[in-house]
Amino acid sequence: MTVVIGFEGSANKIGVGIISDGEVLSNPRRTYITPPGFMPSDTARHHRAVILTVLKEALEQAGLKPADIDCVAYTKGPGMGAPLVTVAIVARTVAQLWGKPLLGVNHCIGHIEMGRLITKSNNPTVLYVSGGNTQVIAYLERRYRIFGETIDIAVGNCLDRFARVIKISNDPSPGYNIEQMAKKGTRYVELPYTVKGMDVSFSGILSFIEETVFAMLVETTERAMAHCGSQEVLIVGGVGCNQRLQEMMGVMCKERGAKLFATDERFCIDNGAMIAQAGWEMFRTGRVTELEDSWITQRYRTDEVEVTWRD
Amino acid sequence: MATETNPETGKLEFFLDVPFPSSREATIALRSLSPDREPRRGGISKQLSVSGSTLSVRWSADEARILRVSVNSFLDHLSLVVETMEDFGPPVDL
Repeated sequence: MTVVIGFEGSANKIGVGIISDGEVLSNPRRTYITPPGFMPSDTARHHRAVILTVLKEALEQAGLKPADIDCVAYTKGPGMGAPLVTVAIVARTVAQLWGKPLLGVNHCIGHIEMGRLITKSNNPTVLYVSGGNTQVIAYLERRYRIFGETIDIAVGNCLDRFARVIKISNDPSPGYNIEQMAKKGTRYVELPYTVKGMDVSFSGILSFIEETVFAMLVETTERAMAHCGSQEVLIVGGVGCNQRLQEMMGVMCKERGAKLFATDERFCIDNGAMIAQAGWEMFRTGRVTELEDSWITQRYRTDEVEVTWRD
Repeated sequence: MATETNPETGKLEFFLDVPFPSSREATIALRSLSPDREPRRGGISKQLSVSGSTLSVRWSADEARILRVSVNSFLDHLSLVVETMEDFGPPVDL
């Protein structure tokens, strides 16, 4: 039995999760909501104020003591610098206090491994969509290859900024509120649709509607599937909660005879357990991170990691 | 604790000594606080070291403002380490 605790705080969510051989024992999380948007130092202050409480909750809810933990995983990057450092510092400290090995995890891979665990998909083409990231990813020979991505801003960032322009509330998240309003919409407005081969661009269409951005993402995902001969799609990242995106992706999958996988808001939104899960996979293949190498990094590409746990 | 200007380099220097209950805890703090680079690449550098049960930090900066930002940030992080140690310590026997 291998038990891993994961710490995540690269954006405005701070989460600590514990996983034991594929079972999520606990996954508490707090979200920093502030109009009009969240700044790195304020976010770091928020995480600093609650992280030890969330850590205690994680242990209590799992019914575990520190001695029961085998490995401490944390988000190495990508993300916002100040919040990443705050969380890494706590992870390094408890790893040393408890005498456990440390593991730096790529945030995007955390999302992917959580998605694979929960949905039990085999080898899906992955659409990773959140406030900070938009990538179409396919696994090949020990790397999560970035097939396509945004050439400017993430789709979630685009949605968040649009919400700000039309003054929608940030609570619980701008994207969620846009989705609720869009459900009542009846008119489709044609806007710039920007797909360049495998990549997408969102900065030119801040006055957009969901239909257009999501259609762009479905197109690039389909193109990646065609190239890889893939029959599965997995959507991860906070924007993956969006039912309309899942619906549109579902239509494309049905037409191709492919299966669509997605997780609910517990796991597609940033959380600690996803870092624990990716850490669990890495730890099983003998990976650890030495303290001197445990620095955080704001830029950390998904394909920089050698995926030693898959064939 | 005052800032001094190094006559040779012209840089502002600041030294901080933090006592810990044991050498082990001072070392834990050192290893938690040293891996990350300064967010600001130029104009500031710091060195951490442990001697006995004391964590020592030495800063060297071009300007007072840059020094102040780095020291403040370090103190925030240090207090987080100390609080974590209070809540989850003492260190296990190895």
